[in-house]
Amino acid sequence: MAASRTPGQGAAAAARATFSLDRGSIVRGLAIAVFLAIAIFFLPTIGADWTTTFTSVAIYSVITLGLGLLYGRVGLISLGQVALLVIGVWTATRLSFATDLPFPVLLLLTGAVTCGVGVLIGLPAIRLSGLYLALITLMAAGAVNVVLVAINFPNGGGGFTGRTDTPDLSGLKPVARPSIAEGDTAYYRYVVVVAAVMFLVALLHVRGKPGRAWAAIRESEPAALAAGVNIVLYKLWAFALASFMAGVAGCLLAAQVGQPTAQSFQTQDSLTLLATTLIGGIFSLWGAVVAGCFSQLLPFLFQVQWGINPNFVLILFGAGLLQVLLTAPGGLAQQFPKDMANLGRLVWRGVGKVTGGGSGS
Amino acid sequence: MHSVVGFAVFGVDWEFLKPYIVLGLALGGVYALSGVGIVVLYQATGVLNLAFGAIGACGALIAYWMINHTSWPHWLAYVTCIAFGGVVNLAYGLLFGPAFAARDPLVKMMGTLGLALILLGIMAWRAPVGGAFARFLPLPSSSHTFTLFGAFVNWTQVIALAFALVLTAVTTAFLRYTNLGTAYRAIANDREITATLGVPVRRVEASAWFGSGLVAGAAGLLLPDLITSLDYAALTFLVIAALAAALIGRLQSLWVTFAGGLAVGLAQALFAPYASLARYRSAAPFVLAILALLWLSRHRVVTITRTAR
Repeated sequence: MAASRTPGQGAAAAARATFSLDRGSIVRGLAIAVFLAIAIFFLPTIGADWTTTFTSVAIYSVITLGLGLLYGRVGLISLGQVALLVIGVWTATRLSFATDLPFPVLLLLTGAVTCGVGVLIGLPAIRLSGLYLALITLMAAGAVNVVLVAINFPNGGGGFTGRTDTPDLSGLKPVARPSIAEGDTAYYRYVVVVAAVMFLVALLHVRGKPGRAWAAIRESEPAALAAGVNIVLYKLWAFALASFMAGVAGCLLAAQVGQPTAQSFQTQDSLTLLATTLIGGIFSLWGAVVAGCFSQLLPFLFQVQWGINPNFVLILFGAGLLQVLLTAPGGLAQQFPKDMANLGRLVWRGVGKVTGGGSGS
Repeated sequence: MHSVVGFAVFGVDWEFLKPYIVLGLALGGVYALSGVGIVVLYQATGVLNLAFGAIGACGALIAYWMINHTSWPHWLAYVTCIAFGGVVNLAYGLLFGPAFAARDPLVKMMGTLGLALILLGIMAWRAPVGGAFARFLPLPSSSHTFTLFGAFVNWTQVIALAFALVLTAVTTAFLRYTNLGTAYRAIANDREITATLGVPVRRVEASAWFGSGLVAGAAGLLLPDLITSLDYAALTFLVIAALAAALIGRLQSLWVTFAGGLAVGLAQALFAPYASLARYRSAAPFVLAILALLWLSRHRVVTITRTAR
């Protein structure tokens, strides 16, 4: 990548190197444009329940994006992203019931809150090595889950928790959606746009200075330290970015469900989220989209469309996780194109043999 | 410590807390023995087994099925529960252990996450939870009680604590005085060199997987009785409390792990009678584990590790 660039070049050169207009990037840009067009214009026409599912896919691809950045780029693993998502949902719900803030402000505020929480967790945890960091985030997630079960989501009451034992459910408004996107389809498009912005933010980070610092840290921390990379800053930065994305996803989720309940978040979610992120692929941003599809679209397909017990998805995730760890570290996002290319070559050769006189056995 | 009259030390009514202390020690016993099972496997293979609780839960569900849906003798169900843990753990160790052997401990741990997800999926599919589906797995030892220092104690609680104590003592002695135990410690030090010295590394590791699995099965058998219901999700996350105990023991010391397990169990049980804390008592293992982790890492500046391999 661009890591070997000598210092002294101007910002314009850096920008050119970040987004150089060779053939590959034009093709990639076209692919992204076509994908976005399909996502925004074609997918909502399939059906109402499909639109809801695709909204969830977009939301979860934002949170897996953060997790994938953290693990794939920096080599930090967090099993606590679901806890941050829950904190995001809670914050958005509380703020929405207490204030009349416009939705984009709500998004940013929620992101800022989870960002702060993530940095708070990350600050002491940053000196822990991979295994222990994973464990401490798992423990933090468990603790958050216990607190959530105890205080539950706001239901229109007063005080800090915003919860009352005698809720007036008839008068309770759901979490406000943006005024330009009240309906399900409009809200889906809104979510896709927000998700696209998040992916752009991630891309800018990966291609820019933070991305190079992260790569150095991931390869070897002592070497990065010797090269003058501010390890604490960039690790915390990654944590903050992933937490911010979890918060944004939480806010989007809160507005999607309207009145969130504690029952819809389970402790095992942090495990399935990690599994789907790895299956999707952590070294490519497309992996986050694949992961979002796996975690939200697949259960929907199993349960609603095909009538199969949705718990098979868990078994599939477990097997997929083992397979990815052992044979395909790049996940589906890297493995699938490679396999398709191989298959294409095989088919091409087979076609050549058949048309060339059938000399093959 | 005589107890016919209630007494208060430090302003705490100990008479009132007695049943909770008994429960806490029994729970702590299960956490402690699970912690020991996790630490021994981690030492021998470098794998932190996150599927430990799921394996126990699966065994317990099989025992429940055998007791309630077949006419086989009950002891057979209990033996099956323990043996199931050993067999599943051994099968995973034989299938995936060698493939993960050279990888980072983090990757090894995530591999067991895969096993945990598979087991969770099977359990959620075959034995769904629901309001009408509360399951119980009472052990015959629970119906025999006696009074100790004025508190009711049943034999399951005694077995849990005693088993943890015996397991810790026997494992410590085993690691120090037997050839196999020496091989464990050698592998914990350096797997490659141990293999060069002629130790059958894979067979030694397999024995660790099997032994640790048996402990997982036993924990799965004891815990539903102590927490009165057989809920596979709760049993699966037994692994968190056990991990807390193991982390307090720095994933090394068996006796500190034992003490850590008791501390976690006691903390969880002693919060129960206080209404303001009761709702948060299940957070006790998490908080203790976080504190232990932060304490362990207080001197570290740079983490030298290779991840994402």
